[in-house]
Amino acid sequence: MKKKEVSCKEVMHHICDSLGEDLNSPKCTNIKEHLDNCPSCQKYFNSVDSTIQFYKKYNVQLDDKGHQRLLSVLGLDTDGKE
Amino acid sequence: MINTSNNITEEHLIEEARNGSKTALAQLVKNYEQTVFNFAFKVCRNKDRAEHAMQETFLSMIKSLNQFSGKSKLSTWLYTIVSNHCLMLARSQKKYDYTSIENDDGLIEDKNVIDWKYSPEKISENDELKTILDEAIKKLPPDYRIVFVLRDIEGLSTQETSEIVNLSVPAVKSRLHRARAYLRNELNNTLGK
Repeated sequence: MKKKEVSCKEVMHHICDSLGEDLNSPKCTNIKEHLDNCPSCQKYFNSVDSTIQFYKKYNVQLDDKGHQRLLSVLGLDTDGKE
Repeated sequence: MINTSNNITEEHLIEEARNGSKTALAQLVKNYEQTVFNFAFKVCRNKDRAEHAMQETFLSMIKSLNQFSGKSKLSTWLYTIVSNHCLMLARSQKKYDYTSIENDDGLIEDKNVIDWKYSPEKISENDELKTILDEAIKKLPPDYRIVFVLRDIEGLSTQETSEIVNLSVPAVKSRLHRARAYLRNELNNTLGK
């Protein structure tokens, strides 16, 4: 399975690291073979990745009023005066 | 993730702030306010509560700056403080009906593996999608939410995350796995074609 610039080896390393397995262990080899040939698992992997991307891209900005309120709460709203 | 590329300047700012410079303190706050606010929002899912958590975080920072040893990064220290404030806020609220995900059963099922009708690129222009994301993550217990946001959203390592939330590395991996699977299932139920 290939996705973006991440290589299969990296994916496998991550999976097998989580499992506490070596990359060439029978369990890891079986997982790789399964992933290569299983559209369902590939979709599942993609949907977990999309879940992370959704939350990563959902950002909010602190506006200028929020910044000023923060400085006021902290007693720092003195325009740099010491 | 908080940008720490300017460590020399940051060390200098911390030193100046400890010596009473309000200008240095204001600069430190400015450097991190957006990241702390965004992190707090991603955990609280409410702008007012996020702003409150951010204010409490910087009040704590100012109060304890003399105790900051510099052994960890300032960013790591701030993540620890804001995480604790977010947890305290969550606990002080009227009890929310979080979903228990202590048990793995049913989190990963090989049925219903379907394509989704939206891609992550659509998030900025779609308020309905934002509501769906908010509602899904609000059901996740806050301590799981924090692990998910630190590790997957902020991009911290498992080791850094474990130090911030005071859990072992295996416990962080376990919580992350469950949080990912739970959120993925929730979104799959709503976004599946």
